[in-house]
Amino acid sequence: MKDNQNPLSPHLQIYRWHISSLLSITHRISGVINLFSFILIFFWLLILSLGENNYELFLLFINSFVGKFILIGFIWSMSFHIFSGIRHLVWDMGYGFEIKTANISGIIVIISSLISTIIFWLFGRGLI
Amino acid sequence: MNATKKWALHRISAIIIAPLFAWLYFSLISLSTKNYLEAVNFFQNPLFKILTIIIFFVGFFHAKISLNEIYEDYIHNKKIKDVANLLALILSIVLPIIVLTLLLYKI
Repeated sequence: MKDNQNPLSPHLQIYRWHISSLLSITHRISGVINLFSFILIFFWLLILSLGENNYELFLLFINSFVGKFILIGFIWSMSFHIFSGIRHLVWDMGYGFEIKTANISGIIVIISSLISTIIFWLFGRGLI
Repeated sequence: MNATKKWALHRISAIIIAPLFAWLYFSLISLSTKNYLEAVNFFQNPLFKILTIIIFFVGFFHAKISLNEIYEDYIHNKKIKDVANLLALILSIVLPIIVLTLLLYKI
C-alpha cells in the first residue's frame, strides 16, 4: 500500500446512513446477487437439458418454501437493480442531482421494486 | 478497452438486458408452475431461444465489467485482482457458450 496514492473506498461501517448511500451500496450488492440468480438460471437450463426426471426434482425444490424464498428474493434484487439502474442512467444524462430529487427518486426506486416484485409473482404464478 | 468505451458499453448492455431480464424472469416464474414438457416447449420457440442466448452473452458481459469495477475498489493486491479479473472473464465466456450449446443442440 505504501506506493499507492489512490484514495481508499469509503468504509461503510463508519458512515451515517442516508438514502443516497444506502441505495448506492445496495445497487452493487443487488448486482452481485443478480449474478448468483443468473447462475441459478444457468442451472435451470442445464437441468432442463438433463431430462424429465431431473427437471421434476428441480421443480420440487423451486416450489418448496426455500425455493420460493430464493426466487422471490432474486426477483426483488433484479427489479431493484433495474429501477436503480434507470436512476443511474438519468444521472448519467445530467438530471436529478439535487438532494431533494435524489431522495425522492431513491424512495421511488425502493417502492417500485417492491410493487413490481409482487406484481410479477402474482401474475407469473397465475394467482391473479 | 479504454475507460470511456467500457463506461459506455456498460450502459448500453444494461439497456439491452433490462427488458429482456424482465421477460425472462416473468417466464421463469410462470414455468415454475408448469411441467417439463411445457418448459421444453417454451425454450424450443426460436425467438425465445435467441432472446435467452442474447441475455446470457450481453448479461455476462455486463457482469464482467461490473466485477472489474468492484475488484478495482476492494482488492488492493494486484496479483489477486488480476486472477479475479481473469476468472470473471472466463466465467463470462464459458457460461454463455454452454447455454448456446444447450439451447441449440440439447433442448
